[in-house]
Amino acid sequence: MIKVVNLKKTFGDNEVLKDISVDIQPKEVVVVIGPSGSGKSTFLRCINLLESITDGHVYIEGVDITDKKTNINKIRTDVGMVFQQFNLFPHRTVLENITMSPIKVKKESPKVAKEKALVLLKKVGLVEKANAYPDSLSGGQKQRVAIARALALEPRIMLFDEPTSALDPEMVGEVLEVMKQLAIEGMTMIVVTHEMGFAREVGDRVLFMDGGYIVEENVPSELFARPQHARTKSFLSKVL
Amino acid sequence: MDFRMDLIIDYMPFFLKGALYTIGVSLVGILLGTILGLLIGMGKIMRNKLLALPFILYITFFRGTPLFVQILLIHFGLIPLVLGQTNAIVAGIVALTLNAAAYIAEIFRAGIQSIDRGQMEAARSLGQTHVQAMRYVILPQAFKRMVPPLGNEFIVLLKDSSLLAVITVPELMYWGRAFQGQYYKIWEPYLTAALIYLILTLSMSYLLGRLEKRLATE
Repeated sequence: MIKVVNLKKTFGDNEVLKDISVDIQPKEVVVVIGPSGSGKSTFLRCINLLESITDGHVYIEGVDITDKKTNINKIRTDVGMVFQQFNLFPHRTVLENITMSPIKVKKESPKVAKEKALVLLKKVGLVEKANAYPDSLSGGQKQRVAIARALALEPRIMLFDEPTSALDPEMVGEVLEVMKQLAIEGMTMIVVTHEMGFAREVGDRVLFMDGGYIVEENVPSELFARPQHARTKSFLSKVL
Repeated sequence: MDFRMDLIIDYMPFFLKGALYTIGVSLVGILLGTILGLLIGMGKIMRNKLLALPFILYITFFRGTPLFVQILLIHFGLIPLVLGQTNAIVAGIVALTLNAAAYIAEIFRAGIQSIDRGQMEAARSLGQTHVQAMRYVILPQAFKRMVPPLGNEFIVLLKDSSLLAVITVPELMYWGRAFQGQYYKIWEPYLTAALIYLILTLSMSYLLGRLEKRLATE
């Protein structure tokens, strides 16, 4: 479903991703963990070209997104993204946040887009907030709206960039619950997170990144119980 | 001091006619300056520095030299060069427009750049093109923040239009000077002109305040 081959990314002289290769299967939930500055977020942002790729290839369902001829806007409607800072549009209501791109990008009729948005809002438990503005929502509610907004384009892959890191502790659970539900429904997901409980419970595979490389990858039970590399051990000993 | 109210009343039709010219050239200047300013502001934030250079030079020149000098250059130099002979009203509007556009370009640039990067990224991650993201996400938010500084600029432009008196645009200050020349009076014409300017600028800030309120509750 997603194939990353020898991906490299540099910012000026700073080589953030040194050589990343990974294959992700349909319906797989891949959790990416690692210390800050290890390149986790950059890796995720390369998958929908929010960061330009310095070298290597990323294939999404067989299409090379680094090819200049690929219509990246089309690819992005298949790859939803959820950000740490939510990035809801503050000048639009919750409902308008969700319907904007289906109407403007996918040319859905406003009526259809609205119906679909209400279904999604029900799914994330926020139907009563449809006409509220983002500023009136709590962090957890904002993030659930952001997930619904990404889902409105009916993506086949969802990327989560530390979706709970900006939340108060008591709101983390409600967001993880929505993500878990998505995983159960068979969404292909890549999740950058510090929530080890989520990684263990929902992840099919965990990638441990450090210094621009994938140092170690395994099923969560193995990786957490028997980490092979010294750096993985040291990281896990600090966070678990 | 012998304050001649009767002279002011006699002269009132000229003051009012002048005020209409002041309003006219200011409104045209604001309108054209805003359009030109948006284009120049967008030009300045282009990633290609070579393409952005002319816009940067434009802003540098028009913000770095006095409006008075620009008015004279345009009235006696640029307009005769283009039209064959000069025309005070055309020259006046061109000078106000070009000058205001430089300031308005900076207001647009600051407004656009003040919007969090995450907004553009979110819009792009939802499949929007750069143009769509600008139009539906960035500019509506930026515009709200641009209203107060734009209002300032409009008020400055309205007051600066008084400089056009020196190239004989028959606006408010032109008639003030004519009054002084005719009756050798100082206080009567200039206090009257000042009062009319004050009424115009206060009306404008009132209208802008209402616009700001309307945008805030949206």
